[in-house]
Amino acid sequence: MTAGARNALLGAMGIALFLALWETIGQLKLAGISWPPLSAVLEMLTDEGRRPLFQRALVATLQETAQGYLWGTTAGLALAALAHLVPPLRRGSDRLAAVLNSVPSIALGPIFLVLLSRDSTPAAVSSIHVFFIVFVSMGSGLQRATPAHRDLFAVLGADRLKRFWRLELPAALPALASGLRLAWPAALIGAIIGEWFGASRGIGILIINAMQNFQIVLLWCAVLLAVGASLVFYGLLTLLERAAYARFG
Amino acid sequence: MAGGASITIDRASKRFALAGSSEGVLALTDLSLEIAPGEFVAVLGPSGCGKSTLLRLVASLEQPSGGSVSIGGAAPGLVSARHALGVAFQDHALLPWLSIHDNIALPFRIAGRRVDEAAIARLIELVGLGRFETARPRQLSGGMRQRASIARALVLEPEVLLLDEPFGALDAVTRRQMNVELQRIWSARQITTMLITHSVDEALFLADRVVVMSGRPGRIVREVVVPFARPRAPAVMRSEDFHRLVDDLTAALEVPEPESSPPTGGEAIGSVTA
Amino acid sequence: MEAAASKRPLLLRLVEDYWGILLLLLAWQLWVVLNRFNPIVMPTPVAVLGDLVDHPMVYVRNVGITLAVAAFGLIAGMAVGTGLAVAAWFSPVASGLLNPLTVLFSSVPVVALIPVIARLLGYDTSTVLAIVVIITFFPSFVFASSGLRSPPPGSEDLFRVLGASRLSVLWRLALPAAMPNLAIAFKLAAAHAILAAMVAEFLMGTSGLGYLFAKTKSDFQTEQAFGASVVATVISATAFLLAGLVEKRVRARYA
Ligand SMILES: Nc1ncnc2c1ncn2[C@@H]1O[C@H](COP(=O)(O)OP(=O)(O)OP(=O)(O)O)[C@@H](O)[C@H]1O
Ligand SMILES: [Mg+2]
Repeated sequence: MTAGARNALLGAMGIALFLALWETIGQLKLAGISWPPLSAVLEMLTDEGRRPLFQRALVATLQETAQGYLWGTTAGLALAALAHLVPPLRRGSDRLAAVLNSVPSIALGPIFLVLLSRDSTPAAVSSIHVFFIVFVSMGSGLQRATPAHRDLFAVLGADRLKRFWRLELPAALPALASGLRLAWPAALIGAIIGEWFGASRGIGILIINAMQNFQIVLLWCAVLLAVGASLVFYGLLTLLERAAYARFG
Repeated sequence: MAGGASITIDRASKRFALAGSSEGVLALTDLSLEIAPGEFVAVLGPSGCGKSTLLRLVASLEQPSGGSVSIGGAAPGLVSARHALGVAFQDHALLPWLSIHDNIALPFRIAGRRVDEAAIARLIELVGLGRFETARPRQLSGGMRQRASIARALVLEPEVLLLDEPFGALDAVTRRQMNVELQRIWSARQITTMLITHSVDEALFLADRVVVMSGRPGRIVREVVVPFARPRAPAVMRSEDFHRLVDDLTAALEVPEPESSPPTGGEAIGSVTA
Repeated sequence: MEAAASKRPLLLRLVEDYWGILLLLLAWQLWVVLNRFNPIVMPTPVAVLGDLVDHPMVYVRNVGITLAVAAFGLIAGMAVGTGLAVAAWFSPVASGLLNPLTVLFSSVPVVALIPVIARLLGYDTSTVLAIVVIITFFPSFVFASSGLRSPPPGSEDLFRVLGASRLSVLWRLALPAAMPNLAIAFKLAAAHAILAAMVAEFLMGTSGLGYLFAKTKSDFQTEQAFGASVVATVISATAFLLAGLVEKRVRARYA
């Protein structure tokens, strides 16, 4: 058996072991009633009657996350490119990004509530998370072009913008792709926290309601939904990252 | 005062698995070589002919697919387990987080022995790094790093010294200086040494015996006993005899199979992509 | 670089380094004043600063609690993450079992897990601590694992030829080689630890900055709620900065 196949097998066993452990702890009530068996959670998750509830929440959260992801990416790319092309702005934008990233998400909620609307708040909180990751990864990516290549462009008489488009931007794409992958779970977290500040639906709302009403199984269902929403897109973005490394890395 | 152990390579072969090929790569075939205690043998050969593979077999970094390798009658793995091998690679492999002194002291620590400061000081002096004990590898030039890695290879007074193109990354002038230094260091101890190199000059200047390998699968096609008396001055490289031997060995290197080709049939693989 | 920086006039330096933040604060002030927001809805930064000056003790007490929880959690999370990475380094089977699982978990929106952990462990400070541990565990494990497996070229062969024991390889090669990666994990986790502690306190805490935020907000003491946020921002930005310096030093030492 090759090393790759053995690792895949071991990995699958690890995940199976984890799921079995989850089920057993739940069945035997080892962690009390707050830990339902996996089967109970899956049963509720696939229950026909609850399908509309879950679907609404999932769609709402995914929409907000996608919106925040788009805004955050745009803002992160714009600021990174600006700081790169206008070096005097560099230090200030680094600091701005670090401070924005340090504002607690729970404090962002109330601000956006006033600044925007109830229903845009999740996307806005989410966009701040994404903005930082994209800004940092793009910023470091833009530095990856080697001195030899820069010299080459200088000798060929390329101006600042040509060098940016034809050299620095392509060289930055792998790092950017890594950033885009990492940004998705962060975007989802932002959306979920944003929902706590009065959104009308979403996974975050489901989580809070279930927690406050002691609906344990429902709470776990909501968490699983969030995990699923994270994993699917994280996986897709990993593929994108691989492609970027293969082509530009 | 010959030090060290003998090396016996007896009809060794090595086949590597290669993705997309059921046969793999036959790197060495049926190679026999005997190195006497305290002898200095240099191995020449075209790129990819299996020189590093040969050295890695002796270092027990690889196991032979056929035949056997032994050091002083024991399996190489046992010899390395009792910390009796010294090695320097083309890439110096100094640890970036240790000072030059601590890099050279590393073999003592790995062997769990008391660090012999006097021996380290002597070696640092010998390789001319006296002022750089506390420097980090990255603060040194390429040649200085190589000297540090050679000092590290010698510090335990090994039974066998294995050098895989230790000067390959150096410019011609530094390389010549390093050759002179290595000869000086080696003469003081006369440890059994196997030196892999691409440079015919280097091989002839340093070794008691030079072995030439053929292209893949690697085997020995020529052996030359170097007649020059030790210690050798760099002037020996300008002598008539030296030039004749250089020409001789260079010719052997250029013609892959000067003798009748052994029966390896269809085993060699036409093209191997790295 | 430093010398050049100190030669520039102070004002220019301030503008160059902090134009973004200054602009942000200015926009905030103008936005509130021009819209004539009620301070309960949205206070000005000047008013928030006033509250900070007027009630320093409230802040100091809660900052102490949040900082302590975040620091302990960070240390424990990194210790557990590194310890498990070392265990996985020793055993290929363990690492095969653990790796996909941790990759899976590190892509999970951890905040969504907070309510579940709270249900399991109860609503108090020890739960907040547990959450910080869990959140800092994943980056430590992932970064430590890959660091342990990327020694400098040739060094593994060297250790084998020198007859090094597995323990000696760990101690003298793998762990030092993992230090730069651990420093990155530390930088990521340090800022995260404070923010995670705050979210946890916000949801179910009985003390700390997050709790202060939740309580003052529902009591319509908006200025103090924002004061708590500003303090948290300053602390976690500082933590990020300091951890960045630590990372730089470690990199200089080990890479
Ligand atoms: N780990 C390995 N897996 C597969 N093939 C290998 C491996 N190591 C070496 N080979 C193959 O064995 C052959 C000999 O390699 P080796 O490194 O010994 O050559 P070399 O003579 O040292 O070459 P150079 O002078 O370029 O260093 C090559 O064809 C190489 O592709
Ligand atoms: Mg080689």
